[in-house]
Amino acid sequence: MKLLIVDDSSAMRKTIERHLNGYDLDIVGTANNGKEALEMLKTKNPDAVTLDITMPEMDGITCLENMKKIKPEIKVMIITALSDKHTGLVAIDKGARGFLFKPVDPTDLAKAFDKLLERN
Amino acid sequence: MEKQIAEIEGACQYFIDSTNNYFSHTTKVDSKTSVPYLKTTDNLALKEYTGMIGISGNHKGFVYISGNQDLFSELWKLVTDTEATSDDALDMAGEVSNVIAGNVREKLGKDFMISIPMVFKGKPDRFRIQNDDLPVYVIPIEWRGHEAFVVVGISEN
Repeated sequence: MKLLIVDDSSAMRKTIERHLNGYDLDIVGTANNGKEALEMLKTKNPDAVTLDITMPEMDGITCLENMKKIKPEIKVMIITALSDKHTGLVAIDKGARGFLFKPVDPTDLAKAFDKLLERN
Repeated sequence: MEKQIAEIEGACQYFIDSTNNYFSHTTKVDSKTSVPYLKTTDNLALKEYTGMIGISGNHKGFVYISGNQDLFSELWKLVTDTEATSDDALDMAGEVSNVIAGNVREKLGKDFMISIPMVFKGKPDRFRIQNDDLPVYVIPIEWRGHEAFVVVGISEN
């Protein structure tokens, strides 16, 4: 499975990469905003995406909406610091398959990925 | 101003909780916060690296975390398992500020809007806190021997 990591923080991109190392995943790229992520969706054709919400250029919710139009079957996990219920509900409504709050715990990330990739 | 001070004192606790949660959750080592104080002078609570978030919506103002490079480099090393460059440490300051502010939305709701982080080293020429408009609280923190400040200046809109 091909994964794209989208976050405007390089610390977060590297953290996610580090903790997903060992999973049967091919990390095909990283992007630091929604616009860049949409470009990479076309060029790298990922199957799954981890997506931050608060980013420059294009926020994660707008990016999610666009991704779903381009590739409806894409599996998107939101990873955000915005810890209110409303944001989670909006993301799920727009088609996110998973939702994780920062700060990310490696165990929670692994569990969320098992669910995203439908393994248990 | 007195009403604003009462409001910010309540909100300050959310930022203290959010800061402590960040360090304990991410590093498994608790941070210690000292008693917050109201900033009454123009002296800026700034260290080497700062990550700052603008606040809008149901509140207006800002929050920032400021610490020395070695604090953010150590955090970077812990989360990425790689050595931090100067830019990496600065990125880390931005991400910590983002998480501290973002987690407060759990308490202050979806209309507590936060900006993307602004990061800077040292004291930028044009940096000034408008404390004639906003009460500004300084929360001193310590984590693994590193001292830092979380500085909160907000009021309700």
